[in-house]
Amino acid sequence: MTWMMWRQHRSEALALAIFVGVVAMVLFILGRPMHALFPLGSAHCLAPPLDQACRSALVRLQQDYGYSTAVLILLNFAPYAISGFLGAPLLARELEAGTWQLVWTQAVPRRRWLAFKVVALGTVSVLLAAGLSAVIGWYRRPLDLLGGGFDITGFDLTGVAPMAYTLFAFALSVAAGAVLRRSLPAAAGAFVVFLAMRFTVAGWIRPHFVTPVTRVEAFVPGSGDITDGTSNVQDMILDQGFIDAGGRHITGLGAVIMEGKAREGGGDPTTYLHDHGIQRWVVYQPIERYWTFQLIETVTFVGLAVLLLALVFWRIRRSAF
Amino acid sequence: MRAQPALRTRNVGKRYREAWALRDCTLELPPGRVSALVGPNGAGKTTLLRLSVGLLTPTVGSVEVFGESPTTNSVRALSRIGFLAQDHPLYRQFTVADLLRFGRSCNVRFDHELAARRLTQLGISLDARAGALSGGQQSQVALALALAKRPNLLVLDEPMSSLDPLARQEFQQTLMGAVADGELTVLFSSHAVHELERVCDHLVVINHGQVVLSGDIDSLLAEHRLLVGPRIETDPRGSRSVVEVKHSDRHSTLLVRQGAAAIMPGWQANPVGLEELVLAYLRRPVDLEAGSHKEPA
Amino acid sequence: MFHFRLDTSSGVPPYLQLVQQVQQAVLLGFLQPGDRLPLIREVVESLAINPNTVAKAYRQLEQGDLVTGRPGHGTFVNDTLPAAVPPATYTSLRHGLQTWLRRAYAAGLDDHAIAALFSSVHHQTKTKTKRKTA
Repeated sequence: MTWMMWRQHRSEALALAIFVGVVAMVLFILGRPMHALFPLGSAHCLAPPLDQACRSALVRLQQDYGYSTAVLILLNFAPYAISGFLGAPLLARELEAGTWQLVWTQAVPRRRWLAFKVVALGTVSVLLAAGLSAVIGWYRRPLDLLGGGFDITGFDLTGVAPMAYTLFAFALSVAAGAVLRRSLPAAAGAFVVFLAMRFTVAGWIRPHFVTPVTRVEAFVPGSGDITDGTSNVQDMILDQGFIDAGGRHITGLGAVIMEGKAREGGGDPTTYLHDHGIQRWVVYQPIERYWTFQLIETVTFVGLAVLLLALVFWRIRRSAF
Repeated sequence: MRAQPALRTRNVGKRYREAWALRDCTLELPPGRVSALVGPNGAGKTTLLRLSVGLLTPTVGSVEVFGESPTTNSVRALSRIGFLAQDHPLYRQFTVADLLRFGRSCNVRFDHELAARRLTQLGISLDARAGALSGGQQSQVALALALAKRPNLLVLDEPMSSLDPLARQEFQQTLMGAVADGELTVLFSSHAVHELERVCDHLVVINHGQVVLSGDIDSLLAEHRLLVGPRIETDPRGSRSVVEVKHSDRHSTLLVRQGAAAIMPGWQANPVGLEELVLAYLRRPVDLEAGSHKEPA
Repeated sequence: MFHFRLDTSSGVPPYLQLVQQVQQAVLLGFLQPGDRLPLIREVVESLAINPNTVAKAYRQLEQGDLVTGRPGHGTFVNDTLPAAVPPATYTSLRHGLQTWLRRAYAAGLDDHAIAALFSSVHHQTKTKTKRKTA
């Protein structure tokens, strides 16, 4: 069976290993000079006060490596690219070519055959994803300074979540292959569902994994800072704004008028705001929750993957192909 | 004591969504014989064959191969079965040697030597890619794979329908040679009835998902007679032994079972050919209601 | 070595064709006492025929005391042949049939008509003869 697996999937496995290798190499080449901007390590420049070296490095980072965000967004497709290739044909190719009838009438019960393939190919995909995630984690470390701790340029590419996405994409494409019975439609169908699931979770569900922190702060007169309640650049800001002394939210036009009034005298607006009892508030998920969120997201997608694979196993037992 | 049947189905039915592909199918295949499964397209042949090798699970009823259910999909049950699907699917990217290695790695017993020798004798290079072989050669490779398992029951789905006459004969030679070599029961489906007599000794005819005729070919031919005589006006179809009645202007032709015994005066009894017999049974209207599965009370 | 043929369009069951070919060959002297019939495996390979059919034909020939199977050696034509028809009788019958055929052609019958007539008369005569002997 091991030989059979290797013989059947070696070209895809090699192609994927090369793909991951090339991506890793490119990231390494692009990342080296970026890391060189911070000889003391980028973490050094994360917490204020920033020294001169940090400030100029940050400016260079923003100017020279702004494109990184685009590169990183593209890498969100990697989990699918890695496992869709292996997953979609797993059943679909056998069904297309009719070879399911050949392989399932050898003396290997088909559920054992499926289990073997799922474990082997699933492991290969997850390992490739882990390798890629490690390289991306290293590459984007300086970019932490620009934020992205919870979004698709950071959170979704680092930690353990990418492996869960990969496993999910794998299970999804195997299941699509079992239902659609053709490799290409299965790959396409799985891709669409994969993107839909990822968007839904990352965009709508992730912010509410844990009750967000709400912080209300009075303005410090004379500080000159009227931005609405910043915290760590890595945090996920869900909502923010101003409330007046009566606790009412100041929104839209009200906020514009208020800011105009505050700046009227040409003096420090914070004094005006402070005097009128206006406070700033922010609802956010602090970066300290990164691993909690990673864990929740991982469990969610691994759970979905297990569910899908269970359906495939159930289907193959009755086998109405 | 009777030998254990190679394949026994009892009231087997298979339903895909709403439609029954096979209904109330009960049959026994004697061991060591070559059985043909005959029926029009869509009669349920492929379903029956897939049920008998465990690729499908019956909706109702039971299937046994040498007393064991192929549905369990156990290693033991799978080891006893060889299957050659329609159009003899192979991994086209594999070389012949790869395919043999695949067979060896996926089976408990696998006569690698035998398969390699047989293919070499047929002039099929072990280094050739399966996809590059001719249809006839592919079928030989698929057959060699199935035979190398040394199965007790070999099931073939339309094995010769896509082959040219020469390849067909070579295929039959290999298949019949394997039967001559030993303990092998063969069941294959076909719609080329005229070719069956050469290779089969047992016949199963199915139509609309039901078995309409089953038995030893020589016995079936001996039991049936074609009676020709003056035209009759009464409809003798009520009699169970009359299979088919045909009238022309002046005479009537009756196909009867166990018929040679009582011949009416002026009537002539002729033996019936296999193809004629099969066609007569296929033309008979099938009582769909009677055959449909009855839920056990 | 004796060679079998198979005519799948004849309507005669294959095992019967094999039996008849051996019977004819013995009658016509193509097979002599002591000759070995091909092994079942050999017949199967050359004709692509079901081995059970060959075995059945050989069994029938053995029951007719025409041949004897010796396990591990093969099947051999027996010494004691059932009363063979003298060659002279053959010649005379053949001659009579030729005469009849010429008359049939002269009367305008074609091959199909002759075959139909022959098989019909053959059938009737055979049934009557059997009833008498029974």
